[in-house]
Amino acid sequence: MDKNILPPKPKKSLYKKIKYTLITLAVIGIYVWTFLGIDINWGRAIERVINNFGNIIPKLFSPDWAASGEVASMMMETIFIAFAGTLMASILAVPLGFIAAKNVTNRFVGTLGKWVLSANRSFPELILAILFIVAVGPNAFAGVLAIAIHSTGMLGKLYAEVIESIDMDIIEAMESSGANKIQILFFGVIPQVIPEFLSYAIYRFEIDIRASSVLGIVGAGGIGTMIIFASMNRNWNEMGLILLAIIIVVTIIDMISSRIRRKLV
Amino acid sequence: MIEFKNVGLVYPNGTEGLKNVNVKINDGEFVVIVGLSGAGKSTFIRSINRLVTPTSGELLVDGENILEHKGKNLRILRTKIGMIFQNYNLVRRSNVLKNVLAGRLGHVGTFRSILNLYPKEDVALAYENLKRVNIADKLYNRADELSGGQQQRVSIARVLTQQPKYILADEPVASLDPPTSHQVMTYLRKINKTDKITTIVNLHFIDMAMEYADRIIGMRAGEVVFDGPVSEVTDETFEEIYGRTIREDDLRGGASDQ
Amino acid sequence: MSKEMISKKSKSPNLYPRKTKVQVTIIFALVLAMYVYSINFTAGQTNGGFANSLSNMGEVIKKFFPPNWSILPAIWEPMATTIQMAVIATTVAALLTIPLALLSAHNITTIKPLYYITRISLNILRTIPDLVLAVIFVGLFGVGVFPGILALIIFSLGILAKLFGETVEAVDMDPLEAMRASGANIFQVIYYGLVPQVLPQFTSFVLYVFEINIRASVVLGLVGAGGIGLTLDRELNFYNYPNAMMVIILIFVVVIIIEFISTKIREALI
Repeated sequence: MDKNILPPKPKKSLYKKIKYTLITLAVIGIYVWTFLGIDINWGRAIERVINNFGNIIPKLFSPDWAASGEVASMMMETIFIAFAGTLMASILAVPLGFIAAKNVTNRFVGTLGKWVLSANRSFPELILAILFIVAVGPNAFAGVLAIAIHSTGMLGKLYAEVIESIDMDIIEAMESSGANKIQILFFGVIPQVIPEFLSYAIYRFEIDIRASSVLGIVGAGGIGTMIIFASMNRNWNEMGLILLAIIIVVTIIDMISSRIRRKLV
Repeated sequence: MIEFKNVGLVYPNGTEGLKNVNVKINDGEFVVIVGLSGAGKSTFIRSINRLVTPTSGELLVDGENILEHKGKNLRILRTKIGMIFQNYNLVRRSNVLKNVLAGRLGHVGTFRSILNLYPKEDVALAYENLKRVNIADKLYNRADELSGGQQQRVSIARVLTQQPKYILADEPVASLDPPTSHQVMTYLRKINKTDKITTIVNLHFIDMAMEYADRIIGMRAGEVVFDGPVSEVTDETFEEIYGRTIREDDLRGGASDQ
Repeated sequence: MSKEMISKKSKSPNLYPRKTKVQVTIIFALVLAMYVYSINFTAGQTNGGFANSLSNMGEVIKKFFPPNWSILPAIWEPMATTIQMAVIATTVAALLTIPLALLSAHNITTIKPLYYITRISLNILRTIPDLVLAVIFVGLFGVGVFPGILALIIFSLGILAKLFGETVEAVDMDPLEAMRASGANIFQVIYYGLVPQVLPQFTSFVLYVFEINIRASVVLGLVGAGGIGLTLDRELNFYNYPNAMMVIILIFVVVIIIEFISTKIREALI
């Protein structure tokens, strides 16, 4: 803008200038590195898609109904995996959440606990599933364990945050009336946190349904097993039905879950 | 000149916002509309720049019936009518200068405005208008750092920068304290007199209406129940407009501070 | 509930109403039953059941240690590819999400059918897991990074458009009205009234989706869609457990570092 018309802009501090310059350089750097490094074989991708498009897309939209029985039973297995995994996690996460809450333990343990829990979350379910497959064999139980461990991290951290946000006045009132620690826990803390705990656990179930539907790709059970076979056999009609099944089940569960959660909180 | 001819407005839910309104507002007038909340003051004002659209009658602005306007015509109409709101309606995260320049949007092309390429004259105009309302020192402050009165002054500067022929003000002082209210009204009055901009203000404070208006229009249940110069207005007139006796909260007070 | 029961209840008040008690008990029993069934169903597939599996685990974990540090230089390149895939996918999704989010916000899109169609398509899109998209795109485009990037774009578009659409719906509409009243057209209203209000949240959501994309792109290689997952898959297939462990450690460290930086930036933004 013209200096003759307007008074000068207030000077930005040196610290801010350096900060903005560094951020800009970092962003530019990341993009340069990305576009120099990535290697996409456009020719082959285009050639493949021209050959394959007609073979795949129309078939996805005409599902192979003959596979309905198998898809239904595998979808049930997917739901079982997610359910067992989420429930295991939602129980395991309770003690962990209490340990990671600053107002229950102390600042140091709390911070450390949350750190461990979110580190756990950074571990993709599928990688965990691979590890558990090596341990318990390629079956649905490996999937349950993978879901359980991954979800425990996430839920533990969320639980800890809920516990940290509770109303401490009630606890003080109970202490002053002579209640002991266990009594305070059961009558002062738990009633306050239960609805939110449940709400988070149910929300986690929504996420885990999606996660467990792909576990089969590495051999950990559920509908994913069919996905990998359908893609290997290039059976795109069956893939269409699987896709439809996932969309329907996930949508229904999301709807039920959000209705329950709205009632809870 | 603005002329309402048998204007009526029925909202989709069936409530009647305006009933057979016939009003003529001459150039350069300072008109205050009074009435209880829900009396149709807001609907009246918003019909003029078509933020709401009357469903019957004719509304003439400079001889043109604006009820038929659409798209480009409507935007051209709006560029010559400035508006001031109860809640200032500034972009809170943007700075004062940018908020004031937004008044030029209707004049500047999409492309130029998006690239922040305002003509030099526009920037000068914006700055000049900020000086007029005594807030030029806050040029680079974010709008949300300002007090209510300051924000309303910025919004006056925005309207001035639009260089409108008419100014509409919808309850401009309802969210302000008495001294600030008088300050804002004084600015509006001054602009009306020096720039000869026709100004229409909605107020529900009787004392302020009497102090600043040339002419008062009283509304009740969507109808114009009084229309005349301030000299003809008495306490009985207000009691008739309000349909009840005058109470303490119908007065802003604080006029003696000035 | 019959009249008798109500009158009984009023004589000796319970801490909780009887109806609530019954409801909670039934729900609890159902959840428990389903849990027992699920565990039996899934654990039944293992050799020797639950207990045997767990005792087996310790033995197996040992096979993974110590990790083979010497392959670190060799696996750095697929790791870099993984990050690059996430960068590209996030950028493209962020650009595409803007029109979609505006269309899925009822305060901006006043044309009802358009709003509903966008909403429903985005909802359907969000139900499809990223890996399923990757499997289909690998079928279409062949093995490589391109199908992976495409899968990430579509997947993150669903999340981003929803989050961003909700932000747009929560903005203060007053300044937009003021601009409309001064004769601005729809593009100017959006750019001047809306953009400044939503920009910080938008940046924050993009970073959040970048975190998700990093985690997702790590596993895309398992189905042939490029990146470090492919390396992991290969090492596991050859039973090279120490090498696999090294890949896992690298993934873990990179994901944690990126999440840490991204979280810090997001906290500074809002």
